[in-house]
Amino acid sequence: MTLRIGIDVGGTFTDLVAITADGTTTVAKTSTTPEDPSRGVLDGLAILAGRMGIGLSVMLGRCKQIVHGTTVATNALLERKGARVGLLTTHGHRDILEMQEGLKPERYNLRMAAPEPLVARNLRLGIDERIAHDGSVIRPLNEASVLAALERFRAAGVESVAVACLHSYRNPAHERRTAELVAQYLPGVYCATSFEVLPQIKEYERVSTTVVSAYVGPALHRYLTRLETELAIAGFAGDLFVILSHGGIVRVAEAVRLGAATVLSGPAGGIVGARLAARMLGLDHVLPFDMGGTSTEISLIVDGDTALSVERGVGGARIALRAFDILSIGAGGGSLAGADPAGRFNVGPQSAGAWPGPVCYGRGGTQPTVTDANLELGYLAPDGFGSGSSRLDLPAATAALSKLGAALGTDAKGAAQGVFRLINVKMADGFRLMTIRRGVDPRRFALLAYGGAAGIHATSIARELGIGRVIVPEMASVLSAWGMLASDLRYELVRSEMLDTAALTDSSLAELFARLRAEAVARSGFNVDGVSQLHFEHSADMRYGDQIFEIDVPLTGLDFEGPGLVKGVVAHFHARHKALFTFANFDDPVDIVNLRVAVVSPAGTDPTPPPAVLTPPKVAPPTSRGGVMIDGRLQTVPVHSLLQLTIGSRIIGPALVESENTTVLLNVQDKAVVTRPGWLDITVDPCRPRPVFP
Amino acid sequence: MSDASSSVDPVTCSVIEHRLNNIVAEMGEAMLRTSYSQILNASRDFSIALLDPAARLIAQADHIPVHVGALPSAVRAVEMKFSDDICAGDVVLLNDPYHGGSHLPDLTAFVPIFHEGQRLFWAVVRAHMGDIGGATHGAYNPSATEIWQEGLRIPPMKICEAGIMRADVLDMLALNVRFPREFKGDLAAMIGAARFGASRIDALLAEYGTKTVGRAIEGMLDAAELRSRAIVAGWPDGVYRGVALLDDDGTGRTDLAIRVTVTVQGDALNVDLSDTDMQSERFVNSSQANTQAAVAMAFAYLIDADIPKNDGAFRPLSVTLQPGTLVCPGPTAPVTLCTSHPSNEVVEAIIRALAPACPDRAMGGWGRRFRISLTGDNPRNGRRFVWHLFHARPGGGASVAGDGWSSGGEWHAVGGIKFGSIEVTEARFPLRFDHHELRAGSGGDGQHRGGLGTCLDLLLEVPVVAHTAGDGARHGSAGINGGHDGLPHHYEVEEGGQRRTLATKSFGNHFAAGSTLRLASSGGGGWGDPAKRSPERRARDILLGIADQSGTLPEDCA
Repeated sequence: MTLRIGIDVGGTFTDLVAITADGTTTVAKTSTTPEDPSRGVLDGLAILAGRMGIGLSVMLGRCKQIVHGTTVATNALLERKGARVGLLTTHGHRDILEMQEGLKPERYNLRMAAPEPLVARNLRLGIDERIAHDGSVIRPLNEASVLAALERFRAAGVESVAVACLHSYRNPAHERRTAELVAQYLPGVYCATSFEVLPQIKEYERVSTTVVSAYVGPALHRYLTRLETELAIAGFAGDLFVILSHGGIVRVAEAVRLGAATVLSGPAGGIVGARLAARMLGLDHVLPFDMGGTSTEISLIVDGDTALSVERGVGGARIALRAFDILSIGAGGGSLAGADPAGRFNVGPQSAGAWPGPVCYGRGGTQPTVTDANLELGYLAPDGFGSGSSRLDLPAATAALSKLGAALGTDAKGAAQGVFRLINVKMADGFRLMTIRRGVDPRRFALLAYGGAAGIHATSIARELGIGRVIVPEMASVLSAWGMLASDLRYELVRSEMLDTAALTDSSLAELFARLRAEAVARSGFNVDGVSQLHFEHSADMRYGDQIFEIDVPLTGLDFEGPGLVKGVVAHFHARHKALFTFANFDDPVDIVNLRVAVVSPAGTDPTPPPAVLTPPKVAPPTSRGGVMIDGRLQTVPVHSLLQLTIGSRIIGPALVESENTTVLLNVQDKAVVTRPGWLDITVDPCRPRPVFP
Repeated sequence: MSDASSSVDPVTCSVIEHRLNNIVAEMGEAMLRTSYSQILNASRDFSIALLDPAARLIAQADHIPVHVGALPSAVRAVEMKFSDDICAGDVVLLNDPYHGGSHLPDLTAFVPIFHEGQRLFWAVVRAHMGDIGGATHGAYNPSATEIWQEGLRIPPMKICEAGIMRADVLDMLALNVRFPREFKGDLAAMIGAARFGASRIDALLAEYGTKTVGRAIEGMLDAAELRSRAIVAGWPDGVYRGVALLDDDGTGRTDLAIRVTVTVQGDALNVDLSDTDMQSERFVNSSQANTQAAVAMAFAYLIDADIPKNDGAFRPLSVTLQPGTLVCPGPTAPVTLCTSHPSNEVVEAIIRALAPACPDRAMGGWGRRFRISLTGDNPRNGRRFVWHLFHARPGGGASVAGDGWSSGGEWHAVGGIKFGSIEVTEARFPLRFDHHELRAGSGGDGQHRGGLGTCLDLLLEVPVVAHTAGDGARHGSAGINGGHDGLPHHYEVEEGGQRRTLATKSFGNHFAAGSTLRLASSGGGGWGDPAKRSPERRARDILLGIADQSGTLPEDCA
């Protein structure tokens, strides 16, 4: 039977989900191998095959499609560990990146140091060329100036080159030729050109987005090509897709070309999964909370949908591409806890990562992490069940926490409590940013906890925020990988076309859209038997002639071949403008700036979890564990196995609920109901004060 | 905190406060996206706020600081004119500096917000129009000696009554400005943004009820007051003096002094500007509302950045003015330059005065404004154009936190004015940006260096008429706590191979097609003793090509 596989490589764990044509779901989890994440993927695939009872090559032979989410780009950007980038730009304009159009965040904060740009000034070099606003050449490209700049890049050890010249969205000839020279004189060096990354007017957005692509591109390229090769060797002959920050899915070559579009690749799968989970639960207002080993992502589902944003920055860098509106916090189960030289206690943003990982993994880590604290507090079992790991070394964790405690004037337990409390406060602050700071009341939302580390912290964070309901889905620990399989295949293409609608004919607009559709189908690489299986979404970025900001106008219900197309498009624009801004200027000229087409291929098998009537073969009574820190003192609490709870069972905290890869902590008076196998619906008593620590 | 607010739980209070802030921010986004003129949609020269009928500032978006402190005066003028004669669907306009405005080009639109029959708030949008009539395009008239020469004066006036637009009044306004279509588009955007805000406030009131929202607002104003009082209480009691000098007023009168005496007593302070020089014959006078705003702006910079800038935050502050001075001129004086000058000097004098009281809060000087407006025939669309220079931003001042923001802007904008895309500008106007990079060596030296100004070479493809309006070609941005001043502005025009310096206040310059404006904007003021600057920072400045061994580079704009 054919199958599809979703793979989410996080900073700490690699999650895999396989779904066969009949809907059977199999999951696997393994450690991420940061120095070469493809190794972890192959390890995970072997485990997955084992669980399906078939050989790796047999499984891969049957696999039609792998959808992959990667944090390679995210981590490079957040940790500022990307490539050493050189920027080539039109002579006289090398500071575009640093000037940031004269804007500074936090208007009234005049005691704020300026950030370091991704490319330092000495590696931003002008090349002698100039294109005019209409695409004509004012100064031809002086290749000697390019070569001189490349020589300086070579001397400075530049690993990646961004090329972004003025007006290249109109005429990319100089950028294209410069890229050829880069390939010739700096062979093997990654090169991002702005006309490919973001062929749109407005130089700051284009330069910045291109620089981000160059910054993350080399690592992405190395990784994805290696993965492709190794998958092929292991017997995979299907299609490998990468999920982008906006939830769309593209082939590897496109992902590498659009490096900046992958910075939220991993979490995007989680959002799609969370949306699906919310739909299954019939919930409109959900706060997805994805806490992994290295980072945590928080987003907002309102009325069943997640907002897309184009005005975003990741790690302080402007990326002008559509992306899910996600808040990333550089903290998770692997975050390191420590006292700084001033004696101030902190958790994160440094992480033990996948290697060496927490102290209790026994792989050489010495500085305690959140996971070590959770082990010390009894939330995790030393046998490793419920943490996605093998045996955990409690004495080692205790020793490391004692050392931290000594610096803070407390013991190992006290230090662990401090870590637990601080990480929860940080997470709660993240939720406040996504909700209260936007005027949204978090108490009207249910918190959807997923990612390996979320379950232990979710109920405490919910209590901190006054959120009354927490849901932990069965797929909690692998929801991102699961979500990727729920994504439609979606490829978006945009072209800058400056069109005055008064002078535009129906046939020429129809022709432009037709060309765009054909190109999108070709570039998407979606394997379909006939084009009839694909459907298209059309939209246009439009404005009144004197405005400079466009609005995205979805063009639905229009006949793209027939007469009246332009009139219909203009009517859509006026209506949308009125809906968004309370008014429309019906008499004023209307311009089209960009045309967009998305080609969509439906996901196929609906990855629903196992049927809800399934009853586990054997209901095991809970075990119990002593030494669990509840409300500031050590108690003995029942420990339930998540998959052996019958639908409708109720658990009242304090208790722990474990599955292989995740553990859920129920505080005193938290009430959990099992709604389907492995799904916990928890009521957190908001009146009860949050746990007090000494 | 008052009893009234204590009955609303803290989360609800916080949600309402942030919802209000979000609403004004979204109103700003709507304004930005829908307006027509370059000064608004590219450079964001507008501000948004929510006030109550008592003219208390409830929430404001972070746009142009100098606008916002002036809005209470504007609401007072509207209330005084119409008092109870306001109904749902009305829109009020004003721009007159002697009737609640700051200067004529800043047009303000007011939309009243009613809930259950009660008038509760004003949604207010103030925007700098591309033109407001008068003797010169773009309103800055360096030769004006009376306000009437500066443009069309609008006292508080209903442009829309009970939802019906007064087309005759609109036509009269449009007839008196140079670019009527742009003016109408911008006005539609202002009213649209205000109405958008009104509908969002309406939803908030429906969700939580008038009572709860009212209590939450009292709570948030009181909380802001407590926080700013606590900061002032930490400053030693005493009398602090500071001076800042304007280059000139365009008549040959130089070094016009803004003199401030700040008295700190307990948790309150009085800012007395009575010793300031007498008013000028020209447009460097500051209307009273604008002076109030400038003082509020300086105070906002000194307190914690995260204290909401609402009515409560400014309660510890009082201002004393002497009629007949530059900062409180007689009723017919021209004032157009005031939102930048002398606003910036008022701020600088106050920061200098209070630096000894709070050295870690005081910051090096931000830039002064040196604007150029150009007009001519635009071959791109066959129409006449006006273009306002916002590029070549000056550098920001250094602070305790580190070096200043390069190309961060002036005191009155502090990183809130965007210079706009060069590509968009070139596509719409007959201009070419041949060079636009940071100006090495321009930041004032100090333990922390002032941010860099900018060099701009701007080729004029067609003949233009240019007016300049600004200051800071003689006086650089102030160094503070021992830091050095930044380099001042230096603007030149190169025409037929000849270069000449442009004065900061000049009218009716004709430049031929093919001329190039060669502009070097000022660097920010340094902070702290230059001897304390780390060798690593100095070495890095050299590596990045923004300083040489001596710490600065000579004038390097080509």
